[in-house]
Amino acid sequence: MKAELEAIKTEALQALKEIETLDALESLRITYFGRRGKLTDVMKGMGKLSKEERPAMGKLSNEVRATLTEAFEDLTEKLQSQQREQQLETEAIDITLPGRKPAYGKAHPVMQIMERIEAIFGQMGFEVVTGPDVETEYYNFDALNTPSDHPARDLHDTFYLTDGHLLRTHTSPVQIRTMENQQPPVRIIVPGKCYRVDYDVSHTPMFHQVEGLLVDKHATFSELKGILTSFARQMFGDQTQMRFRPHYFPFTEPSAEVDISCAVCQGKGCRSCGNTGWVEILGAGAVDPAVFEAVNYDPDEVTGFAFGMGVERIANLQFSIPDIRTFYENDLRFLRQF
Amino acid sequence: MNVTLNWLKTYIDFEFSPSELSDRLTMLGVEVETIKQLGTGLEGVVVGKVTDVRPHPNADKLVLCQVEVGEAEPLQIVCGAPNVRESMFAPVATIGATLPIGLTIKSAKLRGEVSHGMLCSEKELGFSEDAAGLMELPTDISLGTPLREALGLDDVMFELEVTPNRPDCLSLIGVAREIRAETGNPLKLPAVDLEESETDIGGLTSVTIDAPDLCPRYAARMIQGVKVAESPAWLQQRLESVGVGVINNIVDVTNFVLMEYGQPLHAFDYHKLAENRIVVRRAADGEALTTLDEVARELTTDMLVIADAEKPVALAGIMGGYDSEITETTCDVLLESAYFNPSSVRATAKALGVGTEASYRFERGADPGAVLAALDRAAQLIAELAGGTVCEGTVDVYPGQQPLREIQLRPNRVNFILGIELEATEMEQILSRLGFDVEASGDTYQVTVPTFRSDITREIDLIEEIARVYGYDNIPTTLPKGDIPVPAPDPKVEVRKSVKRFLLAAGMMEAINYSFCDPNCFEKIRLASDSPLRDALPLQNPLSPEMSVLRTSLIPGLLENTQHNRNHQINTIALFEIGGVFVREGDQKEPERIAGVLAGQIGDGIYGNPYRNPDFFDIKGLVEGMLETCGITKYTLQKTDVPTFHPGRNAAVLLAETQVGTFGEVHPEVLENYDLPYKAYLFELDLEALVDAAVFAKHFEPIPIYPKVERDLAIVVDKAVLSDMPTERIYKTGGEWVESVRLFDVYEGEQVPEGKKSLAYTIVYHSATETLTDKAVNALHERVVKHLHQELGAELRM
Repeated sequence: MKAELEAIKTEALQALKEIETLDALESLRITYFGRRGKLTDVMKGMGKLSKEERPAMGKLSNEVRATLTEAFEDLTEKLQSQQREQQLETEAIDITLPGRKPAYGKAHPVMQIMERIEAIFGQMGFEVVTGPDVETEYYNFDALNTPSDHPARDLHDTFYLTDGHLLRTHTSPVQIRTMENQQPPVRIIVPGKCYRVDYDVSHTPMFHQVEGLLVDKHATFSELKGILTSFARQMFGDQTQMRFRPHYFPFTEPSAEVDISCAVCQGKGCRSCGNTGWVEILGAGAVDPAVFEAVNYDPDEVTGFAFGMGVERIANLQFSIPDIRTFYENDLRFLRQF
Repeated sequence: MNVTLNWLKTYIDFEFSPSELSDRLTMLGVEVETIKQLGTGLEGVVVGKVTDVRPHPNADKLVLCQVEVGEAEPLQIVCGAPNVRESMFAPVATIGATLPIGLTIKSAKLRGEVSHGMLCSEKELGFSEDAAGLMELPTDISLGTPLREALGLDDVMFELEVTPNRPDCLSLIGVAREIRAETGNPLKLPAVDLEESETDIGGLTSVTIDAPDLCPRYAARMIQGVKVAESPAWLQQRLESVGVGVINNIVDVTNFVLMEYGQPLHAFDYHKLAENRIVVRRAADGEALTTLDEVARELTTDMLVIADAEKPVALAGIMGGYDSEITETTCDVLLESAYFNPSSVRATAKALGVGTEASYRFERGADPGAVLAALDRAAQLIAELAGGTVCEGTVDVYPGQQPLREIQLRPNRVNFILGIELEATEMEQILSRLGFDVEASGDTYQVTVPTFRSDITREIDLIEEIARVYGYDNIPTTLPKGDIPVPAPDPKVEVRKSVKRFLLAAGMMEAINYSFCDPNCFEKIRLASDSPLRDALPLQNPLSPEMSVLRTSLIPGLLENTQHNRNHQINTIALFEIGGVFVREGDQKEPERIAGVLAGQIGDGIYGNPYRNPDFFDIKGLVEGMLETCGITKYTLQKTDVPTFHPGRNAAVLLAETQVGTFGEVHPEVLENYDLPYKAYLFELDLEALVDAAVFAKHFEPIPIYPKVERDLAIVVDKAVLSDMPTERIYKTGGEWVESVRLFDVYEGEQVPEGKKSLAYTIVYHSATETLTDKAVNALHERVVKHLHQELGAELRM
């Protein structure tokens, strides 16, 4: 019996070396460990042994069984891992096949810029307020120190409705509406649509402005410079240089036009800045006392400043779109770019 | 307004280069828009002297010339001009020069003789049409001098943008004053030294002002015995250098003085004035005047005219009359210099649709103080250039004379407004250089405003003057010290943001359309004839019929965008817009709407993500998602009869009985109207209504700790049963144990009897307080099935 066990062990271990698949391994397992397996058969003969032989044979047979079991398990594990590797190999894919991108939309480029402007001024404590597009002469012009015979009215080519109303030519009427309803301090920005009779590559009859107004007991021109410098650095980069040029607006005095250094040429002068090195971005100034009087603020008690910028213009400093009317065609090939 | 460097230098000395001058003026508020080098196109054209003229051996009409151009050897030039002669000075285009007429000079052989350049006529140099002979040059110019320099054409022109408040800068002297403010150098005003004849003007003419409110000052001079002719070259060249056309010596002088002083002048042919006199009055009813531009103009009684004893002869401050204009036969000239009311000139010019150099200045405000200086200057120049004598005396009717304006200036107010610390004496110096008279009185200054600064009426105007000359760049940059107001949160902003965020995440692109639209669009979207949306506000002055009314809906714009994109072969269309519309009714006249369109196909059409057509439930999902993102859960949907939509595939959204929007499949006829070959789906909601219903306050709900039990339920019901009817009943019967009901299949066809459909739901049972047993769930589930059977006739589908 001892010889038989030894033979089975040798034979089985030998047979295992030939095994290459899990199926073959299973049949071999049955050959030895099955109900009629060789090892099982030998074990069945244990009962015929003498009492004296039994412990030694029992021990030997357990050893053989343990050895073989371990060998079978090792091989099982080895074959399983080989099989998984093979399977993974067959599952390899062409990773250059297209990814399934979830659809995502984009805000209109003009809105993207407007939202950025709002965010920058929001951090500086400016509240967003809005007003109507259809306005009266009073709010759009008269209250802003631009009476009807004023030559400055020529600067705005205005759309009129047939009932005497007009489409606001700037967002400045909201200054008046706000001050009529609120006592200082006032710190607002007014994003919105404006309209002027103009239609060419650099003008659309509808455009967007962001207006700003700060009124307090003692707001100075130097603070206006501070606020706008901070805005420009955040909007256009911290290397941006600024230039405040005297200008004229009926509702501010002193008034300024504000230029930033041309981003294309870093102020050296190029075609996109007309060789000046500067690009105009907004108009600003201290609130004219006549405007305060129109809203019953006492110009001796409060001072303030206002500023206004064209959103399309600022957008186009970044995008350089040759025909600004493209903004409002809503061509998806265009909208997707921003 | 154009000025040139050389011309400016006749009024003030300065050393600035063109670009420096441009910067200085710009930083003073007189923005230089362009700088242009004049006299270009004459490179290579120099002054030459003809030293020898010989016949051409092979041509009768040509001669061989030796021409000295300041170099070692004279040039041989073949010439055919009849006036060529020895010792004459003439322009020589040397080899390589390109003339303004486009000719490039090369070394050439003419009939066998070499020619090293070209002697030029005025026409060849682009100066005039005179091609009869060579242009003759003065003989005191050194040979070889570039012609541009020799003729004083070497100048730089600045195009200025003068703001409406600064009419004083619409003149060379005005700009020179700005340079004085910058440099402190004195002005060199033209010296006027009139020689008057013994004939007194008083005996020849008179001026009556019947409308002193519109004409505060009218002055005139007489020049007798002029000869109207072409102006001398220097005058022509001055005017041309700033872009003013030349006419004749009389008119050119008035234009020259206009540019110089900014004072518009007008010259009348004295003998064409009835009774040879001037009446300044309002036009009579029905009067007409043919102006210089040969347009007959009907006048109204609020328009100011210059008349003679009988009829209007000029539109005051705007344009002269055709019949009294200076012609070749004019010998006696009545010269007008006046000051007219700005509003009146502006209103008349606007009403008649004319704008001239004169009206441009008068309507902004001319200088009543310059009236006489300009008049004398012009009279003297006319006498000099056109012969004639200036009559003795001036007529000067000045009913509107005003004392000079005085303004009190508080130096500490200047510093307060600007945020600077400037010494009062520096302020005084700045104002003096600008021409203000400044007197100290205690802590303040009494400032007298010169007549040419009509824009300065208040202390703040003086503060601006000080600021701009002091330099905006020198004002420090500080941050506001004031309190930051604390604004109340705006729920509208919140709704707009939430909805937009949702739509962007859902793959919709944001569009912005014009607020104007084509009134035909209402027909195109099949609005009912009595729809209030058709009552759009019309523009009085639209750009085009397609932009002639204000939109009452966002839908036409989005459909046009869809059409545009489809016309450009883009067929995956998902757009939305948030914006105002304009209605007449209600308090909220510009309600904000949110609308969107899905059309063509959805998906990106790639392997693994094929295109599919959108359908009603895509648009419905968007609407429901938007409501959900605003925290709006209580709403109902019901079919509408909005004609824009497919009658069986649309819905209105109701919040507590109020319709707040609609959505659905676009009606096939509307699709045709927009040339769309595929279906499109739209929604439009009233953003304001969402604001009222939105709930953004969030509350924590405990995360479930007990397991849930899912049961599927397939029932067969009549086709007429809507899918949410069973859902509603399941919730009702199931009570608080029903966490959710999900419809996962709808089926009609084989295995389902005719007229019936199968609906399959997953019901999730869950309790917040205990683990549900199978037994308990089964009991409840059976009750649900029973109720569905009783109430909807639902049969379990096996």
